[in-house]
Amino acid sequence: MKTPADKEFLGFLIPNVLIISIIAINRFLLQPESGGILVFSEFIILPILMGILAAWFWKDLKLSSKKLIWYSILNGFFAIVLSFFFLGEGTICLIIVSPLIFAFVTTGAFIGKEMFKKNKQTLNISFVSLLLAIFIVDSISDHHYENMVSDEIIIKATPDKIWKNVVAFDKINKPNDYWLFKAGMPSPMQTTVTGYKIGAGRKCIFSNGYTFDEKIVTYEENKNLTFDIVNQPKDPEIMGHIDIDRGQFLLQDNGDGTTTLVGNSWYKLQVFPTWYYDLWAESITRNVHLRVMEHIKLLSEE
Amino acid sequence: MFRFIVHRLNFLKAIPLFALIYDSCLKIGVLLTTPEKLNWFDELESEILSWEGTSISLHKFGGTQFNYGQKEIGHLHSNGLLDILFNKQVKQELLVSGRAEVHHIFKKSGWISFYISTENDLANAKFLLKKAYQNMI
Repeated sequence: MKTPADKEFLGFLIPNVLIISIIAINRFLLQPESGGILVFSEFIILPILMGILAAWFWKDLKLSSKKLIWYSILNGFFAIVLSFFFLGEGTICLIIVSPLIFAFVTTGAFIGKEMFKKNKQTLNISFVSLLLAIFIVDSISDHHYENMVSDEIIIKATPDKIWKNVVAFDKINKPNDYWLFKAGMPSPMQTTVTGYKIGAGRKCIFSNGYTFDEKIVTYEENKNLTFDIVNQPKDPEIMGHIDIDRGQFLLQDNGDGTTTLVGNSWYKLQVFPTWYYDLWAESITRNVHLRVMEHIKLLSEE
Repeated sequence: MFRFIVHRLNFLKAIPLFALIYDSCLKIGVLLTTPEKLNWFDELESEILSWEGTSISLHKFGGTQFNYGQKEIGHLHSNGLLDILFNKQVKQELLVSGRAEVHHIFKKSGWISFYISTENDLANAKFLLKKAYQNMI
């Protein structure tokens, strides 16, 4: 006979161990060729299942709504901590994913609370089986998503004065004002080049020392600098989550002594659902653009 | 925010589980801002379940649904919005007496809405649900 304390504890332990094991098995054993793509059901279905499973252990405890929500948040928090230690996820990624996890675990807990109150075993098993089936189908399906983010600023200088600052620039000393950069996400610091021509190597160095290796593929002086990313750092915040494919700066002479500088980036997202993660990817890419472009503006207007 | 989601993004309820997940966000929001409300909602739930033949389930658009047999008495969204269906005559009486407001979406139907914002509102919420329950039995 299990005591209420045992049941409470098991409601935390078993769902966390089970869910982390499923993700680990799926990622490292069943789908190693996917490069660690995190499908939507890992963020939605599994947390809901986690909540349902926890509710099964807690079904006789008559938890108040307040306690059930707190416990669900705590369960989500444990899953996030376990992901950090056992799945190698980065801190910023986990901050981004945490609202989803808390909401879905809570949803699962309240679904479970109602399911187990009625004690309709066939219906309960059918519902859980349906969720598991969605997870399996989603895990083995192809996932592909590409996007491009574009930003522009006006610089009070002619293209020829701006160009050299576009190709390479010295350290950005301005303090970060984007909250994720302040929270520890690496921000762009400096760019170097091996030559001013097509095929030259370019390095974009970030605040934590990580470097994106780039190769210039279009070099139209004072007009267009396009570069492919040939190697991106093995940072847990981005590795397996986003692939930056290409970057571009376009300079448009406005004919009045000013220039419109356009920054474009193309990337592949490897975390799903994109309706959630692409909001973050766009926001981060935009702030990388703006930090670099404002620095170019500052250097060019001096 | 709730009004905006319900009126402008109403189509999202067609996505499976969306309404339940949105309601969970409301729950977490209430937990962080006015946690005492969750105790009132639990009290209301216990009260309804003490009436003969009642049960609760999850409402299809999020929240707790109170049932008598297979029929719905009313439902409570997790921000404290209580929706109950009456006939139009009873609805009119309740509106005149100030005990209820027109439903937040179906204004011309028999549905009424009532926001539980303070502990004192709990008595009126129980009154409204009891009235709907008595109309059913």
